[in-house]
Amino acid sequence: MLKIIKVTGNSLSPFILSGDFVLISTSHRQFKNLKEDDPVVFNHPEYGRLIKLIDKNYPDSENLKVTGIHEESISSHKLGLIPYSDLIGRVIFHIKQPRSM
Amino acid sequence: MFHKLIQTFDHLRPFLTAKAHCDVPCGIYDPITAQINALTVVRMMDLMSVLSEGDEKNKTDFHNSITRYIAVKEDHAEKAKHEIRVIWGDFIKDAHVEKYPELPGLVHKIMQLGSKCRQTADRDNGLAFVEAINQFAEIFWAIKEFQIKKAKAPYAPGLEMVYPDL
Repeated sequence: MLKIIKVTGNSLSPFILSGDFVLISTSHRQFKNLKEDDPVVFNHPEYGRLIKLIDKNYPDSENLKVTGIHEESISSHKLGLIPYSDLIGRVIFHIKQPRSM
Repeated sequence: MFHKLIQTFDHLRPFLTAKAHCDVPCGIYDPITAQINALTVVRMMDLMSVLSEGDEKNKTDFHNSITRYIAVKEDHAEKAKHEIRVIWGDFIKDAHVEKYPELPGLVHKIMQLGSKCRQTADRDNGLAFVEAINQFAEIFWAIKEFQIKKAKAPYAPGLEMVYPDL
């Protein structure tokens, strides 16, 4: 299933900016094949629905380590490992807002 | 172009959002912004009152000024409410509410007083708005384990405010 998600916040800038949209695939079958730097949307018990990049995928234990790009992003350590069960989907298309030069 | 199209759909029926959450901006909380906004509301009420007592109500300048005062009053009442909502939603945790059980009621009271300040030009509503936000500031600084001091704001309307005693 596909979903459109609006991004708020700038932890993935300059790659994904606040106000951009992403198209995500919610198929669980693909989660084991996720790789480093793939953007994913997931639920976090403390921070709510987040979008981050994969730092490392642990298919055996079905967990992900995620990270932001921006220096002010929440640290991976603070976010903890993200279980597959909290994953909402993988970003398959990025709808960018016009970038000012 | 495509983004604009999706944005139009989003306005009509908002999509789910996902936060690319940053730490630093969210670690900075201070009720002083809400306090100053509430103080501005009272200041605008005072300016409206003075202007309305004058003899120049038929002049264009009167309408221009009174409209500006109302617009600023509206804007700052809403900004004060927004600032409190941010602290309430992002900073206050369950443990704080357990320790200060009056907090939910106080936040609700601030929301209602903010709306009353927009609906009316009654100074008493403005004063109650400032007072309620001062109470909120008192609890906020207690949570942060700062002592507080009370002092009159160094500008009109010079109401008593709660500040952290640094």
